[in-house]
Amino acid sequence: MTFPLECRGVSIAYEAESVLRALDLEVGDEEVLAVLGPSGSGKTTLLYAVAGFVELAGGEISIGGRIVATAHGQDPPEERDVGFVFQHYALWPHLDALDTVAYPLRRRGLDGDGAASQARDLLERMGIAHLAHRKPAELSGGQQQRVGIARALAGRPALYLLDEPTAHLDTPLRVALQEELAEQRQESGAAAVYATHDSGEALAIADRIALLRDGRVVQVGSPEAIYAKPNDVWAARLTGPASILDVEVARAGRRESVLRCDGRTVKVRGAVPDSGRASVLVRPDWAELGGDLPGRVAQVWYRGPYTDYRLETAVGLVEIRRDGPPVARPGERVDWCLRRVWAIPDGAPEES
Amino acid sequence: MAERRIGMSRRFRWSTASVWAAGILLVLLVLVPLFELFRGAIGEGWATAGDSLAGSGGVVVNTLGTGAGATVLAVLAGTAAAFITERVRVPARNWLRFGVLLPLVIPPFVSALSWTQAYGPGGLSDDALGIALPGLFGGAGVVAVIAVNAAPLVYLIVGAGLATRVAPDLERAARASGSTAWEAFREVTLPLLRPALLGAAALAFVVAVNSFGIPALLGLPAGFGTMTTRIYQDLARSSAPAAFTRVLVLAAALVVVTVTVVTVADRRFGLARTVVRTAGPVGGVATPGRKSWWPALGLWVYVAVTALIPLVALVLGSLTRAVGLSPVPANWTLANFREALAGSYGAALGRSLALAAVAATLVVLLGGLAASLVRRRAGRPIGTAAILTFAVPGSALAVAVLLAYGPWLRDTLMIILVAYLAKFWALGHRSIAGSTDAIPPDLYRAARGSGAGPATALGTVIVPLLRPAITVAWAVVFLFAFHELTMSALLYGPGSETLAVVILNLRQLGDVTVTSAMAVILVVLVLVAFVPVVVIRRIAGEASP
Repeated sequence: MTFPLECRGVSIAYEAESVLRALDLEVGDEEVLAVLGPSGSGKTTLLYAVAGFVELAGGEISIGGRIVATAHGQDPPEERDVGFVFQHYALWPHLDALDTVAYPLRRRGLDGDGAASQARDLLERMGIAHLAHRKPAELSGGQQQRVGIARALAGRPALYLLDEPTAHLDTPLRVALQEELAEQRQESGAAAVYATHDSGEALAIADRIALLRDGRVVQVGSPEAIYAKPNDVWAARLTGPASILDVEVARAGRRESVLRCDGRTVKVRGAVPDSGRASVLVRPDWAELGGDLPGRVAQVWYRGPYTDYRLETAVGLVEIRRDGPPVARPGERVDWCLRRVWAIPDGAPEES
Repeated sequence: MAERRIGMSRRFRWSTASVWAAGILLVLLVLVPLFELFRGAIGEGWATAGDSLAGSGGVVVNTLGTGAGATVLAVLAGTAAAFITERVRVPARNWLRFGVLLPLVIPPFVSALSWTQAYGPGGLSDDALGIALPGLFGGAGVVAVIAVNAAPLVYLIVGAGLATRVAPDLERAARASGSTAWEAFREVTLPLLRPALLGAAALAFVVAVNSFGIPALLGLPAGFGTMTTRIYQDLARSSAPAAFTRVLVLAAALVVVTVTVVTVADRRFGLARTVVRTAGPVGGVATPGRKSWWPALGLWVYVAVTALIPLVALVLGSLTRAVGLSPVPANWTLANFREALAGSYGAALGRSLALAAVAATLVVLLGGLAASLVRRRAGRPIGTAAILTFAVPGSALAVAVLLAYGPWLRDTLMIILVAYLAKFWALGHRSIAGSTDAIPPDLYRAARGSGAGPATALGTVIVPLLRPAITVAWAVVFLFAFHELTMSALLYGPGSETLAVVILNLRQLGDVTVTSAMAVILVVLVLVAFVPVVVIRRIAGEASP
């Protein structure tokens, strides 16, 4: 089977420092792969390598089944048929929005009028047709990135490369732009690689997520699997709010297990190893207020539709999310219960 | 409310006082002399002035032609070098940058000396291969050596332009949109770089037109005069009233040309902002992969031919016992250096060191203090004025200072010092003011918010942050003042010769070996003074991401 994008053993080094190490990845037809990692993990380098902005030290990259880069040679960026959306927009200061979006069209052989009319349609689709004759300096961040997205769409590429496209926008704008981007991409039917450091964003937009750490892919899976079954503590913390509890295993099961917390036995969903003690991950939605385990509220954050509580308990700090406004205040004693756990495979509790 | 008003009025007085101080200095050091110059130039009527200028048509044409030729060469060389070090993955990038910038720290007249000893008749290439560069003495040689000296300035400005105006992502975006490398260069890089290129060209032109040492050493022996050398000859060697009028008219015309070019360039391309950046270009692209050797090799050859080989020739000349002998170890001696350091020559070296140190200290104190106090908005006109001051040709400034303060200070070291202050105040002011602008105002506000008064906030937050800039400003002014030739050559009297003047005079009398030794001493001291600049830049470069 040919993939829109396939990376095999890709290694890249800046000066002497290696940035990507023997990285394997593939993106399926019409699939959005989110590359999730902290800053410095190599996300941008990976996208640059796919686009042809950096050379490989090892491995190979294929786009649409055609090898475009190896350590020995590579196709130039303009022959790779990708659409790139840059983190800092990378709009050309001397061109207005219309000329910017028309640019890739002209490169693909359209004459000036044809390119301009298609560019105008694209600006229309992004809701910024009225800004067609503004230069980047006269556009807000959100408007600039809309132009950047329109430019990437214009070339009708087979593969989109999105480098934290919303990282520098404020929250409401960010959500709006994410939605637009998802919609536009879906319409085009092309595959996409979406680099981000924001787990919420990755979970929301991706068909699959790859976790990147120090230039290595440490886990790949569906958003649900990545959220519910992280490989280690680092991955657990990267992919969302996580409480790591140290519990005693009373009975290990395949789907359900019995744990001993604070002297009481608790039956939970999830498999744990039969090893006496275990480090388990608890997501905020896997525990509830009310029940038979004692705890004390350490902190409370009201977030509108729901409230986050942090409880001090005999097994450690537990984060719990509950709908509605706060029902307990810091310092109060409350009861709670545990519904589900994930025994972290590489379970040594490390602090990252 | 009342308390707040008091605070505001105090801040207002601080900045007003410093603006006044800077303004008065500017008036006394620059405007009064320039006013005298123009009054003198047109004092006998426009017709006389016009005649005088027409009578010097030859040197005016030579000056403008030299300026144009050197500008074209310098822009080509400097731009190519900037692309090679900043956009190509070359080995030993930092050494290459240093090599390209090397001519910046070599005094222009020393470049001229060293070229004659490398490629002139009886020079290194003549001695080794029997080849001497034809035309080295004359217009072609003047253009070539001026271009070599101006190229590093172009390199700095274009390199900074590449880093700040043409972020690599902009070129990548063009490539991802389907452009070939050449199309991306033509449609993205070049248009974005245009202001930097034109600004650099303007600066190179001004440097070329103001140049004195190079035409004096390479042009005059072949009968090729420029406006600056004509001023020098008329002032030094002629007491006829007509000659003096010609001096004033030529000086005024030089001021008009250079100030016009710089003003237009500043308005159009923000020269004030680009010129300040005296550090090496930043933010080069680290493109992983194989290194490109060929461009680097080409650039090294350029550095070797234009700077390294001439320097070697100069050092060999300073070590050789007599002119005409081959520079082989058997003919080596240290006698030239002994002579260069003895008697009146040694005294001239001491004078130059002292003058440079005093000038640098005063410039830092006066200009720097004003810069650190002046708030942004008030500082801007003064900053522009400072840039203009630096554009005023040394020859013209010296004549102007002589007119204004000559009656009291003629033939003293003091008048040279006044001229240095007028000329180099801009350097100190701009480099400190540039760094003041780079300090986020919130830092000062945070200090005030933490309970510091204006003076305490300045002393505890702003001045410590400015310390590197102050040190650099001192070193830069010291460098320029130490090897200054143009103004000293017009202002010196018996007993107030600077080292550069002694070298020029001795060379014109035909001495090669001792002047070489003096030039070597000069370059070595300049390099030593340059060390703190490099160290501080490196530390500053590491501190910022």
